[in-house]
Amino acid sequence: MRAAKINGLLFLLGLLAVWELVAQAEWVNPLIVPPLSKILRIFSELIFSGQIPLQILVSMKRAAAGYFLAAAVFIPLGVFMGLSPTVYRLFEVIVEMLRPVPPPVVIPVALLFFGLGDEMKIFVIFFSCAWPILLNTLDGVRSIDWVLLNTARTFGLPRRKIIWQVILPACAPQIATGLRVSLPIMLILVVISEMVGSTDGIGYFVLDSQRRFKVAQMYAGMLALAILGYTLNQLFNLIHRLVLPWQWGMMKRKDEG
Amino acid sequence: MNGLKSFNWSGWLSFGLLLLLWELGARATPKLQLYFPPVSQIVAALGQALMAGPVAQHFGVTLGRFFEGYLLASVLAVTLGVVLGYIRFLHSLLETSIELLRPMPSVAIIPVAILLLGIGDSMIVAVTVYASVWPILINTIDGVRHVDPTLIDTGRTFGLTRPQILWRIIVPGAAPYIVTGLRIGLSIALILVTTAEMVAGSKGLGYFILDEERAMNSANMYGGIVLVALMGYSLNRLFLLLEARALRWRHGMMARQEA
Repeated sequence: MRAAKINGLLFLLGLLAVWELVAQAEWVNPLIVPPLSKILRIFSELIFSGQIPLQILVSMKRAAAGYFLAAAVFIPLGVFMGLSPTVYRLFEVIVEMLRPVPPPVVIPVALLFFGLGDEMKIFVIFFSCAWPILLNTLDGVRSIDWVLLNTARTFGLPRRKIIWQVILPACAPQIATGLRVSLPIMLILVVISEMVGSTDGIGYFVLDSQRRFKVAQMYAGMLALAILGYTLNQLFNLIHRLVLPWQWGMMKRKDEG
Repeated sequence: MNGLKSFNWSGWLSFGLLLLLWELGARATPKLQLYFPPVSQIVAALGQALMAGPVAQHFGVTLGRFFEGYLLASVLAVTLGVVLGYIRFLHSLLETSIELLRPMPSVAIIPVAILLLGIGDSMIVAVTVYASVWPILINTIDGVRHVDPTLIDTGRTFGLTRPQILWRIIVPGAAPYIVTGLRIGLSIALILVTTAEMVAGSKGLGYFILDEERAMNSANMYGGIVLVALMGYSLNRLFLLLEARALRWRHGMMARQEA
């Protein structure tokens, strides 16, 4: 295990060294592949001047708004669709009609309605995170052990309490899965929507740098995005572990076993 | 979703009502027609555009790019995945690099692709390949590693050669995982094709939809979206059909286990 990690790191360092050497020797067009050292220098400059953090902040505000809005609408909808066959049948066709629409295609619609502002991106993220959240919640509610529900009913728990104390905890793992799957989708869509119609945000920053042929700056933006993606995932894991410690423990045991 | 599926009357009814409401609302308030052109108008625009030709052409271009990118990604990722899953040393070499590249949202590669390849077919196909490789690769590696070692040992005992073990035991054993990866890759490929067409394209449905929005032809824009959705839906259906064929043995096995 440890040896494998060291192998991987050495290989990566070798790869990066080759990049640096090839770029320094100008075997490839330096306009397209600048040396790694230059990219890193510009990256740190942009970090410390606050430019990249600012763009990321702008993007993340939009992303968070769309993501939480989607969670707030589609987790309850998933619960109701899972509990009531009538509600399920009522919405089934509409959901099945909207689901195959590739999310980026919604951007023009959002542009039409909201123009270039924040609402446009929020709507696009909301729409694209909707399906994984809805379908996983639905799955979770449907696979609840009916003995649990019947027990709760036998003890005369009111419907409200059944939902909060039995159903939601029981399907929390699937809801978490839906939220986890949506996380990279959220990041992708915020970047796309900023590339297509925006004047700020990290997605705009990367594309704009390319258009101005500030290539090192473009790579620096991509590096920032990779770090952002990694951090978001780690943050999600942390919250997952704090909120659903029992499930986290089970997952770890399964991984090791 | 359940085995005995009767026609969902209430679902289609609510969908129909929604469309009717849209139609009537749009007709009643001409001010809103820019945003919500009447459904009948969208259908008419779609029919007209299809007859006239350019839309059919855009459709063909998008479909062609999709297939090119997706098939290329599938071949590359499955091959690489099997090799990496099978040969631990290679995997240990590449693992860190893969883990570093993976969290970067795949669309961020578009600017690099534009820089390297300009704005043409090859850029769009390259971006599609890059993005759809990941889920297929990761799932294939996972699948190969989850093949029951007893099976491999049995194969060895019976004197199968390495290529035979690879083809007859490992690839079929990993097939369910590979299929999952391929299915995720399919929707990602479609997302990337349309995105790349929007960011830098002069052809294709992604370009068409965005262009019609800019020209304020919202009926055409919605028509284009309907077409993309139809494409996505049909591709998914086709995939499920092929999957059922290719993995028939597995469905049979699962049914037997249940019985």
